Amino acid sequence: MARYGMALDYKNCINCKACESACKEQNGILLGADYHRIWVGVREIEGIFPNLSIGSSSFEPSQCQQCDNAPCQEVCPTNATYYDGNGVVRVNPDQCILCTYCMQACPYDARYVDDRTTTVDKCNFCSDTRLIQGETTTACQATCPTKVRIFGDLDDPDSEISKVLRDREYRKLKEHLGTRPKLFYLT
Amino acid sequence: MQTEISRRRFLQGTAALTVVSVSSAAALLIKKEKKHAIAEYGLEKTKWSEHLEEIPTLCEMCVNKCAAIARVEEGVVTKLNPNPLFPKSKNMLCARGNAGIQALYDPDRLKYPLIRVGKRGEGRFKRVTWDEAYEHIKEKMVKILDEEKDNRSTIGFCAGEGMAEHTYASFMKEKIGSSNFVNHSSICLATTIAGYTLTLGGYGQADLENAEYVIMAGANRAEAIVTPDTMDIFKRTRAGGAKLVVIDPRFTNTAAHADTWLPIEVGTDLAFVLALSYVVITEERYNKRFTQENMSDFEAYKKHIIDHHYTPEWAEKITGIKAAEIYKIARDFMAHAPRSIYYQGRRTAWSQQDYQLRRAQAIFTAMGGGIDQKGGIIFGKKLPLGEHAINSPSYDNAKERIEKNKAAVIGASGSWLAWRNTVIDGTAPYPVRAFFAYKQNPMLSVPNTKKTKEMLQKMDLVVVIDTMPSDTVMMADVILPESLYLEREDPVKTFGGAEPSIALRKKVVEAKYDTKPVIEIMRGLGEKLSKPLFEISKKYDEALLEEIAERGEKVVYKEEGYDLAEGYRHSQETINHHQVASVYGEEAWKILREKGVFYPDMDRYFKQKSVNEYQYYPEHKKYYSVIEGDLINEPYHDTCVDTEEIAVLKKDFRTATKKIACALYNLEKKKGVDAMPTWREELYTPTPKGKFKFITGRHAQFTQSGTANNALLLDLLPQNHLWINKHIAEEKGIGLGDSVEVTSSIGTIEITAYPTEKIAENVVFFIHGFGAESSELTLAHHRGANDNLIIEDQYEKTFGSAAMHETIVEIRRV
Repeated sequence: MARYGMALDYKNCINCKACESACKEQNGILLGADYHRIWVGVREIEGIFPNLSIGSSSFEPSQCQQCDNAPCQEVCPTNATYYDGNGVVRVNPDQCILCTYCMQACPYDARYVDDRTTTVDKCNFCSDTRLIQGETTTACQATCPTKVRIFGDLDDPDSEISKVLRDREYRKLKEHLGTRPKLFYLT
Repeated sequence: MQTEISRRRFLQGTAALTVVSVSSAAALLIKKEKKHAIAEYGLEKTKWSEHLEEIPTLCEMCVNKCAAIARVEEGVVTKLNPNPLFPKSKNMLCARGNAGIQALYDPDRLKYPLIRVGKRGEGRFKRVTWDEAYEHIKEKMVKILDEEKDNRSTIGFCAGEGMAEHTYASFMKEKIGSSNFVNHSSICLATTIAGYTLTLGGYGQADLENAEYVIMAGANRAEAIVTPDTMDIFKRTRAGGAKLVVIDPRFTNTAAHADTWLPIEVGTDLAFVLALSYVVITEERYNKRFTQENMSDFEAYKKHIIDHHYTPEWAEKITGIKAAEIYKIARDFMAHAPRSIYYQGRRTAWSQQDYQLRRAQAIFTAMGGGIDQKGGIIFGKKLPLGEHAINSPSYDNAKERIEKNKAAVIGASGSWLAWRNTVIDGTAPYPVRAFFAYKQNPMLSVPNTKKTKEMLQKMDLVVVIDTMPSDTVMMADVILPESLYLEREDPVKTFGGAEPSIALRKKVVEAKYDTKPVIEIMRGLGEKLSKPLFEISKKYDEALLEEIAERGEKVVYKEEGYDLAEGYRHSQETINHHQVASVYGEEAWKILREKGVFYPDMDRYFKQKSVNEYQYYPEHKKYYSVIEGDLINEPYHDTCVDTEEIAVLKKDFRTATKKIACALYNLEKKKGVDAMPTWREELYTPTPKGKFKFITGRHAQFTQSGTANNALLLDLLPQNHLWINKHIAEEKGIGLGDSVEVTSSIGTIEITAYPTEKIAENVVFFIHGFGAESSELTLAHHRGANDNLIIEDQYEKTFGSAAMHETIVEIRRV
C-alpha cells in the first residue's frame, strides 16, 4: 500500500499538451471536450504590446488534486467516489448515479461527466490503466518533454517525491479549504 | 480578453488571477459541427492485458524521430510511450507522438493503389492492383523518355523529410537518372545549414543542456519542438541556469520562458546581429585567443563592421530594438561566453537576407569562442554504419537541373520555388514532363499554391507516394499508398551529437491495407521499368552503345546498374542487419532490435538518474569537443538534411585556411555573394502604413499539413487563426472570432481573427498547414486557412531558399 501524490515542476511547462494527449490515449478520454481529466491552464499575459510582463504569463498543468480529505468523496451519496488502498480518489462507474454532487463540491473543477460510461469521472493517477499493469509512472508524467511531473509514494521517505518535497518549496491549491491535496506545485 | 467560459475555474481563489486559455478561446472559434466531427472519432481506454507486447520504434509524426514504445494488444496499437533509451528524445513523446495512433487508424488513409479516371485534380480515381499502377507509370514514362530522347531529367521529383527519403531519392536520382530533385530544404532550413556550414564547417548542435546564455531569434522551441533542444532548454529556463533572450515579433510560448523578449521588425534580424557584433568588436569583448587562432580574416571582419558603422543606434532605427538593449545583450552574451549561443534556427526560410543573417550569427557566436565547446555549438560524434551501395548507371543524355542559374548556388536538392517557376514560366532549357512526389505536399507546403497547381497541370504524368489523400495526392494520376511508419521497418539511422546513438524504426503491426514501404515500391517500379527504359537508352545513348559493343549487352546491363531494382531487392531488415552487424557485431544488432536503440557501452553507461531522467553517457565520455587541429569536421548532427549535400558545400567553398570563415572571398568572386555579412537596404521590404507583414510558423500540436486530419490533435488545436494586434483589430472593428479576409499580391484567404497583445502592430501571423482542399480528408477539408495561397513566391538569391516573410498583406473584416 502506498500514498500516492504528485509534485509538479510547473515552471518547466511549455504548454505542448503532450500530457493531455497521453492521458486521452491511455484512459480513453472523450474527444471534443475540454478540461477532462487533465489540462494546462494558461495565465494570459498582462500588459500592452510591446510592454508585456513575461512574469505574468504562465502555464499551469493541472488535474484532480487527489485530496486526502476530498469534498467530492464526502458528498457522494452512493460511495461511488472512494479512496483506494493507495490513497487515490477513485470512481466506481457501477455505483455512480450522475447526481453530480461531486462536481458541485470539488473546488478544483476536476470532475466531469463521461457520457459514454455515465460516470462523473476524474483523474485516478492511471490506476486502472498503468499502475495495474505494473507501471510506476502516470501517462502524463512519462510523456512530458520537460519532465514537469514527479509521481510517487509520499509514505516512502526514500521516494523521489518525498525527497523533492523535503528539498524544495511548494504550494498546494486552495489549502485553506482543508482538502489536503496531494498535488504539490514546486516553486 | 474575456473569453473564458469553462465551468472549470482553475486555481480560482488561490490568487487573484484570470485564467484565460488560448485553447478554449480557439475552441470558441471553431464551428460546432467541426468539433462534433472530431468527437465522433472517440478514444478507447487501454485495458489490463496479459498478452501485452511492447515494441520499440521511432516516431514519424514530425521530423525529430523520437524513440517510442508501442503497446500492442492483439495486433492493435493502444498506446505509444516514450522509449527512455534514446539520448536524442530523452524519454519523451509529445502530443503528436501520442497521436500516432490516430494516424495509423485514420479511416481516410490511402488504402490501395489508385489511378485517376476523371480530369486531373477532379478527385476521381479507380482502385487498381500494384502491377496495374506500375504498368500505367511504365507506359507513360516510356513514351515521355522516348520523345525526350532519354533525357532522364524530364522527370522531376520531390520528397519530404523522412527516414525513407534517401531510398526514394536514390532511386529517382541514381537509378532513373534525373537531376531535377527538389526537397524540403529550400522551403525550410537551407540558409541556416549553408550559413553555419560555410562559416563553421558544420551546422552543429546547440548544447542547450550546458549553455548559460541563449539568443533565440524567430526560433520557437516550445511550439516548434526539436529534440533534444526543447527538453534541454526549458528544463533550465526561468532561473534554472540558462538565460534566454527571445527575439520575435510574436510573444510565443518560448518567449514565455524568456528572461528578455524583444519584438523585432520582421526581416531585420541581420541588422540586429551586426550591431551586436559592432559592440563586441569596438569594446573588444571577443575572445582574443580564440579569434586569433581559429578564425580567418577576423581583422578584415572587424574593419568591415566598424567601417559600415553598424552601431546599435543605427540598428535601432531598422529593427525597432532599443540601442541600450543591444549593448546589454552583446555584453551579457560575451560575459557568459563560451557558454553562449546565438541559436542557429531551423525553418529559416524567412527573408532575402537570410543566408547572411546565419553567417553573422555563426561569426558572432564564434567571437565568444563557443564553438566545439561544451555549452556552445558542438559537432559531436556520429557512429558509423556499414555501407549499402547502389550501382548507378550513367545517362549521357540526362541534362542539368533546369533552375541551375536561378540563384548563386543551387545544390543537389534544388530550389523549390525557382524550380517550379522555371517549369511554368517557359525558361526551362527542356520540358519537365513527369513529376513524382514522396511524402511531400507541395500544394500546401510551397509558397503560391496556384503556381504549384499550374506546374502539376503541365505534367504528362504525376505519381504520388503518401499515406493520406493530401491536396497533392488529389492532383496525381497514380497514387501509390505507403504503409504508415508503425507498419514498416525503415533504414536504420545513426544520430550524431555529444551522446551519439543508433536507432531503429521497426515494424510494430502488420499493414492494415494494401500498402507498401518505399523500398518495396522502388523494387516494384524498378522491376517494371528496368528493361523498357534500358531499351530507350539504347536508342539514344551513344556512350551506352559503345559500351555494349565493347562488353556485350548483358554484362553492361548488369554491371553498370541498369537493373533498377538492384539495391532494393533485399528486405529493409536484411539491409539494416548488414549495416549494423558489419560494424558492431551480431550482439549489437540483437540489442538494437530488442531495445530500439544501440550505442557502444550502452549497457554500462545507461542508468536511471531519477524517476524521469536517465544518463546516456557519463559526463567525461560525452563528445563536446571533437575537433583536433582544424575546424572542418565530418560528424554532423542534423537529421533533416542530406549529408551529401553538405559535403558538396564544403568541398566547393571551404576556405583554404580551415578556420572559422569570417570572409568567403571565393564565393564573392565567383558568384557575387557578399564575402562578409552586409546589410542590404535594397533587399529589405518595408511595411507600408496600414498594411502588415505576414509571418507563418509551427505549433506543438500540429506538424504542418501532415497531421491536418488527426482527430486527437485537432481536438487540441481545431484550426488556425489570424493573430492580429489587439489595438489594430479594435481600430478595424475586428473582434475575436470574426471572419477576416487576408489579401496579398497573389491571393486572398478567409480566416477567423485572434486579436492579441502578443503580436506587433504591423505583423499578422497564422500557423502553417491548415486549409486543405482535399474532400477526401474528412476532418482537414476546408478547416482553417492555407498560408501558401497568400505567401508570395519570393526566394533569396544565394541558395534559392524561399523567403516566406516578405509578403505584405491587407486585412478586411468580412
